[in-house]
Order: sequence, then C-alpha cells, then structure tokens
Amino acid sequence: MPENQIDLIAHLMRRGGFGATQQELEDYTRIGYEASVEKLLDTATPTVMSEYLIRRYHPDESSLLGGLSGADAWLYRMVTTDTPLLEKMALFWHGIFATGYPKVLNAKPLADQIRMFKRYAMGDLNTILVQMAKDPAMIIWLDNQQNHKDSINENFGRELLELFSMGVGNYTEDDVKECARAFTGWTIGNCEYMEVRSARDSDWPYGRISWHYEFDQSDHDNGEKEFLGRKGNFNGEDIVDIICQEEATARFIARHIYHFFVADEPPVPQWPYQPPRDPEAIDQLVKVYFDSKYDIREVMRFLFNSDFFKSEDCWYEKVKSPAELVTGVMRLTGAVDMPRYDTFSKQLRMQYMGQTLSNPPSVEGWDGGTAWIDTGALVERMNFAAEELGNLTTPGSQQLFDKFVAENSEQISPDRVIDICLEHIGSLTIHRDTRVKLVEYANENGGVRVDGNQLDELGKDTISGTVKLIASTPEFQKA
Amino acid sequence: MVTKNERIEQSMHYVRTVGMTTMRGRGFYFPVDTAMASNGRIYVLNRSLERVVADTIRVTMLNEDGEYFGIFGRGGEGEGEFRWPCGIALDSNDRVFITDEHLNRISIFSPDGEFIGKWGSQGDAEGLLKGPAGITIDGDGNLLISDSQNHRIQKFSKDGDFISAFGTEGDGDGELNLPWGITTNSDSEIFVADWGNDRIQKFSHDGKFIAKYGSSGRENGQFVRPAGVTVSQKGYIYVADWGNERIQILSPEGNFIQKLRGEATDSEWANDFLRVNVEEAEARERADMEPEFEFFNDDPHEESSHIEKLFWGPVSLLLDGDERLFITETNRHRIQVYKRN
Repeated sequence: MPENQIDLIAHLMRRGGFGATQQELEDYTRIGYEASVEKLLDTATPTVMSEYLIRRYHPDESSLLGGLSGADAWLYRMVTTDTPLLEKMALFWHGIFATGYPKVLNAKPLADQIRMFKRYAMGDLNTILVQMAKDPAMIIWLDNQQNHKDSINENFGRELLELFSMGVGNYTEDDVKECARAFTGWTIGNCEYMEVRSARDSDWPYGRISWHYEFDQSDHDNGEKEFLGRKGNFNGEDIVDIICQEEATARFIARHIYHFFVADEPPVPQWPYQPPRDPEAIDQLVKVYFDSKYDIREVMRFLFNSDFFKSEDCWYEKVKSPAELVTGVMRLTGAVDMPRYDTFSKQLRMQYMGQTLSNPPSVEGWDGGTAWIDTGALVERMNFAAEELGNLTTPGSQQLFDKFVAENSEQISPDRVIDICLEHIGSLTIHRDTRVKLVEYANENGGVRVDGNQLDELGKDTISGTVKLIASTPEFQKA
Repeated sequence: MVTKNERIEQSMHYVRTVGMTTMRGRGFYFPVDTAMASNGRIYVLNRSLERVVADTIRVTMLNEDGEYFGIFGRGGEGEGEFRWPCGIALDSNDRVFITDEHLNRISIFSPDGEFIGKWGSQGDAEGLLKGPAGITIDGDGNLLISDSQNHRIQKFSKDGDFISAFGTEGDGDGELNLPWGITTNSDSEIFVADWGNDRIQKFSHDGKFIAKYGSSGRENGQFVRPAGVTVSQKGYIYVADWGNERIQILSPEGNFIQKLRGEATDSEWANDFLRVNVEEAEARERADMEPEFEFFNDDPHEESSHIEKLFWGPVSLLLDGDERLFITETNRHRIQVYKRN
C-alpha cells in the first residue's frame, strides 16, 4: 500500500475520472480515500456545463444533424463535470455496446444511447441490458428491425451473447436462434420511413427526426423457446434475466471492468484462450456481482476499495484512451468555461489519435491498451498534450505560475521546479531516469527566478517547457 | 388582466411554412435570425456548423412564396465572411448588418449582398465586443447590439462609433445574463431577451430599466432561455421561448395571452424535394408523424426532436407590416408563418 495518500487518490482519479488538479487532489485527501470513493460513486446530481449553453453556441449539438454531432457536447460534459465516474461509465458501456454512425446514420439516437448509458450505467446489469436491447440506435445497428417472427435475424441475438454479456464458448448456435426469437417485434417506430431516410442519409426536408422504441406484438414470436437449458415462452426481458444469472456473464463483465479500470487485458477475441491477468480479482468481482444482484455500483465500490486496484503494481499500467487523454488535458488547462468555436478541433485531435466517439471501428469496439499507441498516434498524443498544457495563457498555466510565486523564494531550484510541475499536473509519479532528464532541462536556465510577485519570461518558458516534457512522458500518457 | 375579446383578437393562427434544409444554395442550414427588407425580401442568416465547408454559412434571400434570390456571405475570417454569425438587421436603406459572436464584429452588406465593410473588435471596454448576438436598429438609425458575453447592450452608429451602453452581469432589475434577441417598439423603448435570466426586460431608449416579464419555468408566462423578442405596433410582446420550444404572446402589460407550439406543414421547397424523391415521399406519407410514446424526461426539446411539425429551436421572431409573425427555427431549418385573427 502506498504511504502517500495523495498519490493513491491520484491513481483513483486517473481511473475513476480523468485525472485531477492538485487542488482537487488536496480536497479529496482531506476527506480520505474511502470517502473519495463514495464521492466518486455518488452520481445522482452531476454539475456540468449547461445543455442550454452548449446548444446555444453549437446549434448542431441541439439538432444533432451532422455525422459527428453529439461528440462536442459529450466532450464538454467530460471536461466540465464534477461527477467524472458517470462519464467514464458511459465510455465503458460505449466501448462494449459499441454502436456507430456509419450504419445508424442519425446522430440523435446515438447521442440518446449515451444518455441512456448514463441513466442506467451504475444500476443493475439486467436493466442496462434491457435498455440496451430497446435502444433505437442499437436496434438499427444490429438489424433487429429485420428480426421477424416468421423470419428471424440473428444479428442482435448473437452479439448480445457473444459481445455484450457472455462471450464465445458459453452458448450454442441453438441458443442464438432462440435468443433471436425472443427479441422479434423489438423495433423502432415509423421503421419504414426511418430506414429509408437512413439509407439515403436524408436530413430532408426539416432535419433529422429522433427514433423511439416500439414493440410490435403482431411480429413477436410468443412460442416456447429453449434457452441455456431453460424452457418457456420467453420474451427479450426473460432472456436477459437468464443471461444475468449465468456465471459466464459475471466473468465476462468483470473482466471488462478490470480491463477498463484496473489494467489492460488482451483484446476480447483472445479471452477464451488467454486467462485473465489477475484471476483472483475476477473471482472477487464475480462474487460481488452475484451478492449484489448484478449491481454495477456495488461492483465498482468493491473494485475501487480492493487491494488489487490500490496496488502500485497496476499504477500507470493502462494506456489512456484518446477520449481520456484529451479530456484530462483540457480539464487541467481550466480553459473551458464557455462553449468555444474551436472545440470541434479538439474532437479532431481525438480522431487523429484513433478514437472517434460514437464511431467505433466495429461492433467489437476499440481494442484499447497498447493498440492506442502507434507512431502517428503517439506523436499526436504528445503534441496535443504539450500544446494545451504548454499554453501560457490558460487559467491552468496561471495557477501554476501562482504556485511558483507562492514559494516566496527568489530562486527556485530545478528540482523544486520539477516537483511543482508534477504536483500541478495531478501528482504524477515518474521514473527516476525521466526525472533526471527533466531536472537537467530545468537547470539549463538555472531554475526559475521570481522577482517580487512576477515570473520573468525566461522562467515562464522554463515552466512551460517542463510541463510540455512531462506531457510527453510514458507516465502522463498512461493512467 | 387580459380580456376574452383581447385574447381572441390577438390570437395567432398558422399560415404556412417556408424553406427547408440544404447545406448550400436554396435552403437553410441552422438559421439563427431573419430580417425583411422594405420590398418584402426575406434575409435568412444561416450559421451552419464549425466542421463543414465554408459555403454552408450564408445568407439566403427569398420571399414568403419561396421565390429564391440567391445567397451571400461564407465561412471564414476575411471580408464578408463569418464564423459564428448570430444576428441580422436591415436599416432604412435595406443595408444588411450581421453580428458575428466569434469574430466579435459587425459586417455590412448592400441589399444585394455585396460586402460594404466591417467593424468591431474583442474586449470588455466601452465600444468593444464579446459575443455580439442580437442586433436591431432604433428609430434614430443607430445599432443596438446584445454584447452578450459582456452582459450588456451597446449602441453604435452604423459606422461603429460607440454611443452608449447599459447593463451589467447579474439577475437584478436592469442586469443581464447573456442577452440575445433585442428589439424596439414605436416609442423607442428597448426589449431584451435576457436569456440566462429567463425573462424579457424593457428599457427606456437611454437604457433605464422599466419592466421585466416572466420567470423561469414551463407554465404560461414563464420562460426557459428566451432567445428572441419582437413587439407589435400596439405593444403586444412576442417571445421566442427557446428552451420551452414555443412562442408566447404577452399583452403590453406582460400578461399571458397565447402560446404556440408549432404546426409546420411541407413548404414549397419541401414539396419540390418530395416530388422528385418518391420513395422517401411515399414512406413519409405512410408514417405516423405524431407518434405517441413515453419520453424519458419532460423537456419539450425531446418531444420536438420526434415530432417534426413542432417548433424545434425557435430562435428569432419577425413581425411584418401586416403583423404576420415569421418564426425561425434553427433545428428544423425553416420558418413558420402565423397571422392574427
């Protein structure tokens, strides 16, 4: 267990949130680790940039007409929220129930799906899966509108079992068919018109029209089904209920949670052939899942308080996703107090790093882990972080300068320069060799000089350069 | 107090819908404001999106019958270009003045859309701008501008010479929070859509607080982020109750008379589209365009996203000489026209 509480809480905030400022970490440290976990888990009343404000300055975040609409609003929410775990859980479920624009061709249902994740993200898995199955974007994404009682389409039923709950090897082909039968008649309203519009990518004559779930009783197969060894006149809710009782489901979801919040696992297709990195941790999560009747909040509470999560062995063991990196950097700058014209350009940077929200590469989502890092993406990641954090005009930079002034010393040593910058950036712990290089850099100008209450330009440049270098370290690029 | 006769006399009825969505050329793309010239020509200011090509930002010129007169303006930062165009007003010579709340300037065009000039720069000192949004021209021919992020109204000559300012950030009488739409009445009194304070405020011609109307909420006479306001010859106040996705009509004393939720039908341009896109038209014909189902919240924004005829993003109001009301809807890329009984 680490001796330094603030470093442990910094780890918690990197995983349960998007990192934290020094002030936030000090506030959390005052209440202690367990209370910080509870604060993180309290997602009832998030404070976040007003939807009205976003819609006023970005009309497309109101009507969601364009292909990438909704992503700016999500970025604003991630950057400004005081309840970061809720946004992380939305990212988590988005990565599993990966639904994308190229087939849905209507950004409003995609944004609605993310909102749905937030409403149910921390509830029981049963509810999450039912809501996901009724989600209009998911219905179109996996063709369930074409799943008829006299002609089933297995796509949704198959992915529900393979990618969303149990994983391959835990069900039969017959189970897939019976599962599909149970979801017949789960469609969207005005299906014909909405499909025609999507096929033509039509926003005519008056922009997009939102989608809504509709149950078509006349198209539902109400006959007897045999699914995972049970028999009955199952509908979709019954199927989900059975799925949630399965140990395979508990293990699959537990491994996803471990992969997202603790340490990178191999890509999902390898899971049947490669054991979990920490089987004991998975066992513990599975037990909490069943003890709590599939309650995700309870699973998360256990996880954040577990020894395997707190262990320094897993610190900086996860590569930040582009969404986590961009959000974390923007939160540190403190520069997002109003909607800004250039927000879309931050989204573009996220895309250049390999992640476009609401546009995953496939129904399997993003692989994550080291797959986020290739030569081009790494350069993009380092450049973005360095540009944003090295910008001398942001409130975040000003706060950093104030910390130097508050040292009450005319000459701040290179060692101390590094300490102040690392604390400012979220109590980052770096490798000692890296630190030596950073000190060498800060020493080139002899540290930082404070003249009265002022930093000279050379001092500011030294601080800015130091922060840019820190943003390029492996520790900053990881969580 | 509003009498029954007054309520009947001032009630508005739907007439027609004008325009449709197009990224370029004949049509609208996220229209945010509309003005009318002395010859009845309508100028629709299309804000478009940040991430699409420059020619989607434009002013579309048409008349109520859908006769199209072309476009002018485009995205960019050069002369005659915009980033975040927000408000449009015409002077007595039909010269066109357009605010840009990102570039913090006013651009001026001839009635045919030729660029004439621009002025304005960013700041919070007198005469500088931060997020200029709504714009109107007062009886003296000067410009009144909602200097939105400075939470004040500024008056300029048409050439950009600062004349006066009033308002500071706050929610007290005469204070403002991100003001948006602005208009004057025949007595040169100034009405401001005090967006962040969910109310309309009335000021004298020299900026002294006179009255305020409305409070936060969804009941009659309440507002959620009102964006636009206009006043009839007789003093009736029309409010684009943007966050409630409706229009409200108030008596000259500020009492509630009527609310409109939208009744759009297919415009001439929409019909042109549907005539040549038969598959889409037939599917549309068969669809239930007013489906009933349970929304997950009570925000009318959600309802409007599902039911096309309802106002969605009603942002700007224009009363013509016959007291017909032109309601510009950003999210539906159209104008709904209403008239009095």
